[in-house]
Formats: sequence, structure tokens, C-alpha cells
Amino acid sequence: MESAPVIASCGAVTALGLGLEPLERALRENTSGLRAGNRFAGKRHQSNVAGYVPEVVLDELRATKPSHADAPAFLLAESALRQAEQGAGDWLKAVPPARRGLVLSTTKADVAALERLVGGHSCSVPARRHVLPGLLATDLAEARGLCGPVECVSVACVSGLLALQLGARWIQRGIADAVFVVGVDLVTDFVMSGFTTLKSLDPEGCRPFDRTRTGLSLGEGAGAILLTRQTRAPSATLNIAGWGSSNDANHLTGPSRDGSGLALAIMRALESAATAPEVIDYVNAHGTGTPYNDAMESLALQSVFGERVPPFSSSKGLLGHTLGAAGVLETMVCVIAAARGLLPGTPRLRERDPAVSAAVLAEPRAGVIPGRMLKINAGFGGTNAALVLARKGL
Amino acid sequence: MNDPVIRTASCLGLDGYGNDRIGWREWPPELRAALQRDEWETLKWSHLFGSDAPRFSRLDGLSRVGLMAVELLEVDWSRLQRERVGVCVETRLGSLATDVRFLETLSPSVFTYTLPSTVIGEICIRHRLKGPVLCLLPSQGAGGRAIEAAVEWLRQGEAAACVCLACEAVDKKVAGFLPLADDPAVRGWQAGALLLSRPTGSRRESPLGAGTLRDLARRLCGRPAER
Repeated sequence: MESAPVIASCGAVTALGLGLEPLERALRENTSGLRAGNRFAGKRHQSNVAGYVPEVVLDELRATKPSHADAPAFLLAESALRQAEQGAGDWLKAVPPARRGLVLSTTKADVAALERLVGGHSCSVPARRHVLPGLLATDLAEARGLCGPVECVSVACVSGLLALQLGARWIQRGIADAVFVVGVDLVTDFVMSGFTTLKSLDPEGCRPFDRTRTGLSLGEGAGAILLTRQTRAPSATLNIAGWGSSNDANHLTGPSRDGSGLALAIMRALESAATAPEVIDYVNAHGTGTPYNDAMESLALQSVFGERVPPFSSSKGLLGHTLGAAGVLETMVCVIAAARGLLPGTPRLRERDPAVSAAVLAEPRAGVIPGRMLKINAGFGGTNAALVLARKGL
Repeated sequence: MNDPVIRTASCLGLDGYGNDRIGWREWPPELRAALQRDEWETLKWSHLFGSDAPRFSRLDGLSRVGLMAVELLEVDWSRLQRERVGVCVETRLGSLATDVRFLETLSPSVFTYTLPSTVIGEICIRHRLKGPVLCLLPSQGAGGRAIEAAVEWLRQGEAAACVCLACEAVDKKVAGFLPLADDPAVRGWQAGALLLSRPTGSRRESPLGAGTLRDLARRLCGRPAER
């Protein structure tokens, strides 16, 4: 793929806290951001364990923009976006607003506002607007003075990777010179109730690829990745080398049992990056912790890589399943891995499922600088997506 | 340059339905009156296609109009490389009506449809399509973004053909929760679909011009058949 877009900077607000530093520390120490919460006291959810953004962080963000105090999706996304702007360096100042674009990735935007409206409770004008993902994207762009193209992608749990694909395409085609890809989703009564009705939550918290895993844990947060051309950000070390997506054409809520749909998306990504499977050094898996997903994913990896499955791990025990933000935040995990020279582990994995490839990393592996990485996600509706990341010069 | 072409087009809405072969047809008066009253549950698969489709009554509004518009394309899918047929959807209001319904029912079968992209899964399952997928939720406009994304897939060889679908399924009661009073998307259930591909030389193909997907579909449906 010619003139592969580069990742210039990142920003995040997660269950681990504000910014990249807490995320980096947790990756090194293999700790989890999941905790039992009391946000939904009185509700009969299957689990109260989730990746909640700490209240102290939410309060801090509310204080910076009181007019949006009841619009957390905006506050989280705007904070992540601002961090990515600030981390970009001087080159961004030379990019005119009309050449700065935004791709928002979300599944439910500010669905908490819809809950209040349906329940007959008060709701600010911004929060009402942000029930609609497209308007949340528009308002974020306006708040940060991004006057270039604005788009919103919503394809279940693969939204983030598809948003990165779209942003990368804009850079390649010269539609924009700087594209902020922002992923955001909230842990709300709506999503907790929804996954409870499907009996998909693990009451104790998710344990991806574990023999005793029973389900996923939700997470909330926002991630922002700034994409540009290598010539604009010469110090950027990681580029988006290729991508692919597919549909299982099999089932609405369950993955195809043989992993063939995900394998197809991976093969498409490798082909577009002109990369052979053998040179992938690390895979950041979807790894939700549901019995079916993790088994399917292991099969998909074995189908693509044969007996030489690269080291892989899941970040769901780190952040929870952040739905529309997952692809962006987990790509950011890969960025940190490349920058810090470590292969992330799988927090909360205690005993590997014997049916899962032994290449899964329970603990982080330090002192390894991955050259080429694969990020994969799968989601409701049978959707699959994959992204190939490569260090500069490879 | 072999720019992508429109192989076939379709649409349906408050007043009727159509495609580039049959042109535009109005619903029977009784059904039309029911639809005007926002009684969209009365629209059955059999109104358009004779027999019933499995599970159709279990689908949410977005999936119903989406599947119907795609069926109206009258594509012989067996003649396409299904693994390389992509689906690109554009919707402004997405699953809003279903979201409200889930909050009122907390039903697992409703939760499945609280994503604007579920319609993609329904289309892919029905026609066994495994190509690239995308669902865009713009703050304005209708259909142009989906076409743009699909054209790029075709130009880059990422897909051999692509279904583009613009659809909305929301009633005035649900829209009343939000600042949508003057929004043209709030006109009941409606959908427009196109099948795009590289040119094959068929007489039914039309050049791809500017314009939104729904407007384009309506314009094509209004034209006499070219077979």
C-alpha cells in the first residue's frame, strides 16, 4: 500500500484514568481497570463489574465544560481529541482547519440521554443532540475547530477499526491532511441491561481465553488517534499498512463457529498491506471473554497462521469491552507496545483454555519491539475487521 | 477509467415502491392510508413479494425496509462472487425507534436490533454476502456518503460489487424526543438501494452521477424500463 498513513499522536480517557500514562503503566504491570461499581444500584444486571471511568475524572471533565455536564460522551471524546491535538507537535499548527477531519466511532453515542428522555427526566440540549451519533460527531468537530470532512461510523464492535480504515483512506486520497479518529461509548443502564438480557456478562468480570470464562465485561471511555502523512510527521514511527473487513453471513449475535469470517478479514488486511502472515510479530485480539468469541478467534488465527500463531493477547481485561471505542483504544495499545518495546499480556487470564492456541500471552513480554502487528475485532451482525500496523521502514 | 456503474436501483417509502425495471408503483389505498397514520407494522413482505419471508415479522423497522429495498433490486446473487459483494449503509436516525422500544420492553430479541448496522447482518445472511461492510451515520444528507465509500471499494478492488442502502425507520412520536421536527429523515419508514459494480456491458447499467442515493434511486425508478 503506497504512502501508508502514520499515527502521529493519541489521547485517551479510560477506566484506568485520564491520558496515556495510566494505560502505559497498566500495560507494563498487567493490571486491570475493571471493578465492581454502584452506578446502577437497584438494577438487576447480570454483573456490576465493568470498566467505569473514575468519577473523579468525570467530575474534572464536567468542571471544564459545565454546559455539557450531563453529556459524558461528548466530554470523554473531546478530552481524548484534545490530548491527541496537544501531543501532535508543531506540524499540526501548519494544517489549516479546513484540512482537519474527524471520524467518530460509536455504537450508542449518548444513549444515557435517551434513557432520561424516555423516562421523562430533564436533559440538556447538547445531550439531546448527542443521542444521534452524527450530531455528536458534528459537535465534536465544531468544538475543536475541525472544518474538514466529518463522518460517523457505527458497525457494532468493529466500528473503531472501520473508522480507522476510513480515516486512513482520507489521508491516502488527500481528502484531509490530519484526521482525528475518535472512538467513544459509555457504560449505561441501556447496554448493561441489553447484555444482561443476552446473558453475556461474566458476573466476576471477564477472563479472556481462560478455561473458566463465562462472558464479557463492558467498559467505557474514549480514544483518539491522529492520522497524517509521514512527510508531515517525520517522527511518527507506526503506520497503518493495510486493512480489511468481512461479514460472516451466518448469525446476528454469534460469531461463525469456524472463524472463517474473521480469517477472511485478516487475509484481506494482510493482502492490502502486502504482508505475509509469517512476519506478524503480535496480534491484539478481540478476546471478549465469551466462550464462543474466544474459541472462534483462536480458530481464525490458526486458520491464517497455521501452527505458527504469533503471540497474541486481549485488552478486554484491561479496559473492558468499550464497544465502539474498542478498535481505537486497542489500536492505541499496539502503539504503546511498539513505542515501549513490550508485548501486552492478557489481564485476568489465569488458566489458558486448552482449546486456545498456546501463543496467547497471559503476562506481558518486555524487551520486544514488534515490527508488524495485527489488530482484529468482531461484532454483532457477523462483522469482522482487521488492521495491519507496521513500524517505519518495514 | 472503468468507473463503477449502477446495475440496478430500488426504493420504497410512504407512498409506494419501485425499481428501475418496473418504475414507481403506489401502495394499495388501504395500506397507504395505514402507512400515512404511522402504522408501519401493517407492511408485510407479502405486499411486495407474494410469499412470506422467514423471520420477517421479528425484524425491526430498519431491517424490514432495508431488506425490502435490497430484494426490490431483483439481483440474481448466484451470478455474483458473493464473497466479494460489500454492503454499505447510510442512516441518519439509525436504530433510534428500536432503542426506545428496548427501553420500554427490555427484550433480548429487541436488543439485537439496537444497532444501526444490524440491517447489514440481515442482508448478508439472507444473500450470503461476505464482502466489506460499513455503516455511516451522517448528521445531514442521505446516501451520498455510502456511494462514495462503495465506489472507493470498487476502484481499489476491495469488492467486486456493492449494495448501497440508505434507510430510515422512525415515527413522529419517537422523533419527538429529539430536536428533529424539521428533519426530512423523519417521514416514516423509507429506503433506497443501489447495486454498484464495475461495468459489465449490460444495457440495464447506468452511469453513476452526483446526487443522494434516495434521490438517485427515485429518479431511476421514475424512468421507463430500459430492458
